[in-house]
Amino acid sequence: MTTQVPAAEVEAGPQKGSNYLNSHRGFWSWAGTLDHKRIGIMYLVGVTLAFLAGGVLALGIRLHLWQPEGALFEPDTYNQVFTLHGAFMVFMFIIPGVPGSIANFVLPLMLGAKDVALPRLNLASFYLWLCGTLLAIVSMITGSVDTGWTFYTPYSIHTQQSVVTMGLGIFMLGFSSIFTGLNFIVTTHKLRAPGQSWFKMPLFIWAIYSAGVLQVLATPVLGITVLLLAFEHIYHIGVFDPSYGGDPVLFQHFFWFYSHPAVYIMILPAMGIISEVVSVHSRKPLFGYRMIAFSSIAIAVISFLVWGHHLFTSGQSEFVMMAFSFLTFFVAIPTAIKEFSWVATIWKGSVALTAPMLYAMNFLIIFSIGGLTGIFLAALNVDIHLHDTYFVVAHFHAVMMGSVAIGFFAGVHHWWPKFWGVMYNETLAKISAVLILIGFWVTFIPQFIMGSQGMPRRYASYLPEWQGYHQVSTVGAIILGAGFALMMGYLIHSLFAGKKAKANQWGGVTLEWHTQTPPIHENFDYDPVVTHDPYDYSQLEEMKGKS
Amino acid sequence: MSEGHHDLITIPAPEGFVPHQVAHHFDSVEKEFQSCKLGFWLFLATEILLFGGLFAAYIYYHDLYPESFVEGGKLLNWQLGALNTVLLLASSWTMALGVRSAMLSEKSKMQGYLFVTFLCAGGFMVVKYIEYSGKIAHGLLPGYFFGLEPGSVYAEALGHLPYPNLFFSLYWTMTGIHGFHVLVGMILIAWLMVGGAKNRFHAGYYMPVEIVGLYWHLVDLIWIFLFPLLYLVP
Amino acid sequence: MTSDSHAAQASHDGGHGDHSEHNDHSGHHVCSFQLFAGVFFALLILTIITVAVSRFDFGGFNMIIAMAIAAVKASLVMSIFMHMRWDTAINNIAFLSSILFLSLLFLFILADYSTRGDTDPILATPSMQMKPAEYYQHDWSGH
Repeated sequence: MTTQVPAAEVEAGPQKGSNYLNSHRGFWSWAGTLDHKRIGIMYLVGVTLAFLAGGVLALGIRLHLWQPEGALFEPDTYNQVFTLHGAFMVFMFIIPGVPGSIANFVLPLMLGAKDVALPRLNLASFYLWLCGTLLAIVSMITGSVDTGWTFYTPYSIHTQQSVVTMGLGIFMLGFSSIFTGLNFIVTTHKLRAPGQSWFKMPLFIWAIYSAGVLQVLATPVLGITVLLLAFEHIYHIGVFDPSYGGDPVLFQHFFWFYSHPAVYIMILPAMGIISEVVSVHSRKPLFGYRMIAFSSIAIAVISFLVWGHHLFTSGQSEFVMMAFSFLTFFVAIPTAIKEFSWVATIWKGSVALTAPMLYAMNFLIIFSIGGLTGIFLAALNVDIHLHDTYFVVAHFHAVMMGSVAIGFFAGVHHWWPKFWGVMYNETLAKISAVLILIGFWVTFIPQFIMGSQGMPRRYASYLPEWQGYHQVSTVGAIILGAGFALMMGYLIHSLFAGKKAKANQWGGVTLEWHTQTPPIHENFDYDPVVTHDPYDYSQLEEMKGKS
Repeated sequence: MSEGHHDLITIPAPEGFVPHQVAHHFDSVEKEFQSCKLGFWLFLATEILLFGGLFAAYIYYHDLYPESFVEGGKLLNWQLGALNTVLLLASSWTMALGVRSAMLSEKSKMQGYLFVTFLCAGGFMVVKYIEYSGKIAHGLLPGYFFGLEPGSVYAEALGHLPYPNLFFSLYWTMTGIHGFHVLVGMILIAWLMVGGAKNRFHAGYYMPVEIVGLYWHLVDLIWIFLFPLLYLVP
Repeated sequence: MTSDSHAAQASHDGGHGDHSEHNDHSGHHVCSFQLFAGVFFALLILTIITVAVSRFDFGGFNMIIAMAIAAVKASLVMSIFMHMRWDTAINNIAFLSSILFLSLLFLFILADYSTRGDTDPILATPSMQMKPAEYYQHDWSGH
C-alpha cells in the first residue's frame, strides 16, 4: 500500500523530535489518555502480566504432575490452580491479547486514521479489563474457584461463593472485549484513508474486523450466562440447577454459544498477524489475498454453528450431535485456505529469517497440527473416546498457546520497533523462538499420546504407567518457560539499552511503516492516501529513494 | 493534500445554541455522527443478544413445564402489565418526538417531550414497585426464596404443578434486568435535559439525543415481547 | 482539512431540518408529527389485540399469534421510532444481524430439546425422555 509521501515525512528519522511516548508526561497523561497507541501499550503490559501469572500457574500444574500421586498441591488446591490457569489465560490474556494491545496500536495506523473511532470507549474497555482482572484476583484471594474455566453447573452453583466474584469479573472482561471489537468495526467502516477500499486493506484488518463481529455478537450471551450463574449462586433461581427444575445442559449451550466463537476471537487476530509477518518477511505479496479475506469472514460465520461439539458427552440429542459434528468439519475449509496461502506466500519469496518470521513459522507448524487434531475431535465417534482427555488438552493448547500466543509474540516482535523505536537483541530472539518450538512439542506430544490412551484431564493424580510421559511433558514445560523468560528478558532490556530501530525496520509497506518511528501523537503529519495494493513491495524502492 | 495538523472543526449553531466542536480524529461532523451511531447500533445488537439468552431460557422451560408457566402467568396482574405497556409505548412516542424537536432546534419542545418521557419511565417504575411488593408478600419469589403459604390461593393454583418456581425466577430475572435498563434510561434522559438546558443540542448536533432515543426504544422493544410472554402466557 | 476533501464523504450535512418524506438514507430524516402519532395509536390497538387474543384458546397457536403481533409492534417501533426505515444500510445490518444470530441459538437449543432420545430407538432408554430434573434425581443404582 502506498501513499503520497511528503518529503518532510521521510526525513523524520527514528526518535527525532516529538512522538507519542514523549509528547505528554506524567501519570495522568497515561491513565487518562485517549490515544489508541498509549492504550495499546497499557494493554500490552497488562495482558503480558496476565500471561506471566497464567504461565506460572501452568508450571505449577506440570511440576505437580511429576509424580503419579501429585508432587506439590492438595487435590483441592490443584483444582483451583488449573481453574485459575485457564481463566487467566483465556479471559485475561488470549481474548484481549491481540485486539487490545497490538490491534489497538496498529489498526488505526494501518487505516491512516488519527485514532480509533470512539477513543473514550477504548479507554473504558481498558479499565473494564482492569476491573475484571482485579475482581478475578479478589476471587482468588477470597477462596479461589475450583470449577475449571468453564464453570459447569450444577457443581459451580454449590461450590465456594467466590464463583460470584469471578463471574462478575468475567462479565466485565466480556464487555471490555465487546467495546474493543465494536470500536474496531466502526473504525474500519468510517475511518479508512481515502483510496483504501475494502480490498486494499491489510489482511490484519480483515482478521480483526471478523473477530470484532464475533466479539459483538457472541460475548453478550456469555454476559447473561455468568450473570445467571451469579443469580443462581445467590438466589438459586434454578435455571441451571436440576434440583430446582433446571437443565445443566442449557448452561453448556449458553456457555459454548459464546465460548466456541471465542476460540475464533482468539485465533483470527493471530492469523491476521501471521498474514502481515509472512508477507513482509518474505518480501512478497500475499498469495490469495481475497481468499484469506473471505475465509476470515467465513470462519466468523461458521463458528456460530458448531458449538455443540463441546457437548458430545453431555446428553444432548443424537440428532443435534450429528448436525454439529457435520457442521464442525466446515471450519477446516477456510482454515486450510489460510494455511495454504501462507505457505504459498513463502514459496519462492525472498525470505528473511528474522525473529518475527521464526515465530510465524512456529505458528505455521504448530497450527497445522492443532487444526488437524481438531478434525479428529470433530468426528463424533472419535470424540466420544477422546472427550475430556489429554488429547483435547494438547489439541487446544496447540491452537491457543502454540498458535495464538505465539502469533501474538510474532506480532510483538514484528511491531516492537514501531512501538518503542528500539530493537531487541535478535540473536537472543531467535534462540527463544527455537526454545519455544522445542519446548512446545516436548510438552504436548506426550499429552497427545496419553490422551489417546485415555488419561483424563483435570485429575490431580494419575496411574503410574503414565509417569514417563508426564515427566517428559514437565521437562518440556520448563523449556517453554525458559524460552518465554528469555524473551521477557531481552524485550525489557531493549527498552533501556536497545539499539535505535530503523524507521522501517523490516521494509513493510502498509501505512504504519510510512509514519515516524515511534509514531507522533497524531499518527501522521500528512493526510495519507492509498493508491496501491497493501502488499505491493515495488513501492519500497520509492520510499527508500525519497529518504 | 492539506497540512497534517488540522484545526478543530466547529459546527455553527443556530441563534442561542452552543456550537459543537468535532473530535480531533474526525474530519467532518457527519463522520462523527455516523461513527457514534454505528457504534451504538452495535451496542444495541449486544443488548438484543443479552436478553436473547433469557428469552431462550424462557422458551426452553415453557416447553418443559407448560402448565406451570400458564398457571404462574395467571397469578401476575395483567392489568398492571398492560398499564406499563401503555406507559412505555407512550414514552417511546414522546422520545421520538423529543429527537424530532432536537433535529429542528426546538429547545423548549424537546425539553417538554423529554420530561414527559422521564415521567412515563418513573410511572413505569412505580407500577413495577407496586407489582413487586405484591409478589414479595405472596412468596412468589425466585428460586430458593419461592415459598407458597400452605392453603393460600397461590398454593392451590401452583402446589400440584412441577417447578412453578422456574417461571417466577424467569419473571424476576427478565423484568429485573429490564427494570435496570429503565433506570439507566431515566438517568440518561435526565442527563439529556441538563444538556438541553445548556442549549447544547440543535440541528447541527443532536447525536446524544438520537442515541439515547435509540436506547429508550430498545427498552420499549424488549417490553413488547416481555408483556405477552409473562403476563398473558400463551 | 475541510469536510469536502474526502471523496467518500457523504454530502448530507445540509440535510438537517429537511422535511421531505422521500427516500433519505442519511440517518437525518425528520418524520412528521402525524406519522409518530399514527404509529403510537397503532401500537395501542395492537396491545389491545394482544390482550384480547389471549382470552381465547387456540392451542399451540396462541404463542405464534402473540409473538407475531409482538413482531409487528417491534417492527413499527424499529422502522419508524428508531428511524431504521431511513437509516444507512450498515446500521440496519449491524442491528438485524443480532436477531439472525440469536435465532441460531434458539434453533439449536430447541432442536436439541425436541429431539432428545429420537434418533436411535435402541439406545433411547426411557430415561432419555425424562425431564432433565427427573433425569438428575432419578435413582440410577439399578442400572
